[in-house]
Amino acid sequence: MKPSTRLSVDARRTLKVASFRIPIPNALVVVVGALIALSDTYSACAQDGFYEVETKYIFGFTEGSGVGLEGEKEFSAESIARIGKADGRYWASETKLEYEFTPNQYVQFELGPLVSAHVIKNVTDLENRNNLAMSGFFGEVRYLVLERNASSPLAVTLSAEPEWHRIDETSGTRVTNLGLELKVNADLELIKNRLFLGSNLLYEVEGTKDPDHVGAGWEKESIGGVSAALSYRIIPSVFIGAEAWYLRHYDGSFFNSFTGDAIFVGPTLYAQLGPKAFMTAAWNAQVSGHDIEVPGSTLNFGEFTRSRAKLKFAVEF
Amino acid sequence: MNGVAKMVGTIARIALAALVVAGACISSTAQQTASVTVSVKNHRFQPTEIHAPANVPIELRVKNLDPAPMEFESVSLRVEKVVTGNGEGVIRLRPLAPGRYEFFDDFHQETRGALVAK
Repeated sequence: MKPSTRLSVDARRTLKVASFRIPIPNALVVVVGALIALSDTYSACAQDGFYEVETKYIFGFTEGSGVGLEGEKEFSAESIARIGKADGRYWASETKLEYEFTPNQYVQFELGPLVSAHVIKNVTDLENRNNLAMSGFFGEVRYLVLERNASSPLAVTLSAEPEWHRIDETSGTRVTNLGLELKVNADLELIKNRLFLGSNLLYEVEGTKDPDHVGAGWEKESIGGVSAALSYRIIPSVFIGAEAWYLRHYDGSFFNSFTGDAIFVGPTLYAQLGPKAFMTAAWNAQVSGHDIEVPGSTLNFGEFTRSRAKLKFAVEF
Repeated sequence: MNGVAKMVGTIARIALAALVVAGACISSTAQQTASVTVSVKNHRFQPTEIHAPANVPIELRVKNLDPAPMEFESVSLRVEKVVTGNGEGVIRLRPLAPGRYEFFDDFHQETRGALVAK
């Protein structure tokens, strides 16, 4: 969908650095502090130390290999916000209201509706917008292909996530969009139950029907990406870490025409809030990027945003 | 509509390819099943360590001798099951690689034990 909102070359050349700033890092510190305090209380109640842990959510945007426990069901709200373009004010978030279940010891399914929110003001080539809407539906299947055991600290899971959107992720306009995200989720236990290294390989393909309403048919695009993340368990119920993502965007379904790339880095947090509840948060800032339509660009605002954030709360039952 | 059909077709082909790859990784397990039993009494597993053969499917029987329900749970075994008070539950485990697999009662998290596969 992003090409539908790509800026013209001339427009991009005149862009200034955005003056808009959201004081989220400060708020994040307060929230993180409160959650760690809450989690610490829970840890004290749990009496003991560093038991085995599910790794799926401990790496931020990077997903670990965990597929849950057979018989387990979970409901969660997971919001991903993309924040800041080159100018004006830009906030676009998508929330998954997710039902997750694990029917056996290898496979996990997830599905649910999507809710999007857009706050766009004075961003070049985007219409001002302030809306909240049901924006689509997603499903996901995850399959554990390599499990961790006493002789191998590596675990690998494959995932496939088809999505349908009726609201453009970038501009917030009405569209018909279909997509599929394929991932390899791997993690390595570096210190037993304490330190984990995670990595994802991403291939995402999507098509938007006539995004500019000019009778152009389906506009296809694809994204390839790789991530690395480190997560350390500071107390039994809290992991903190950092991750880095390298993303490449192409026009066409199979990496046909390169349009730009970006590197994101940032901190991650996972906190077990109780025996059946947890939260995870991550903040990624774009530290480097290149847009082929903007020669000499050091950040890519055509396909990506200045930063992105993830917040998820989950309850198991 | 042709465009929609083509797009759905492309996505379906990619999803199918992914499922085929995943399916190819499924190993057939027509092996004999081992049976193991563990009990819970006064919120303690008895015994706290159970043993089972590695690389064969395991039928794990959990007997709850307490009046209160318990939830047998294990991250490394990747199972959870609620067992009613004075009840019994059966959990079928995949063939396990040799190693130690911790488990606990999620309703009373101090209640812990381990299955050793070798």
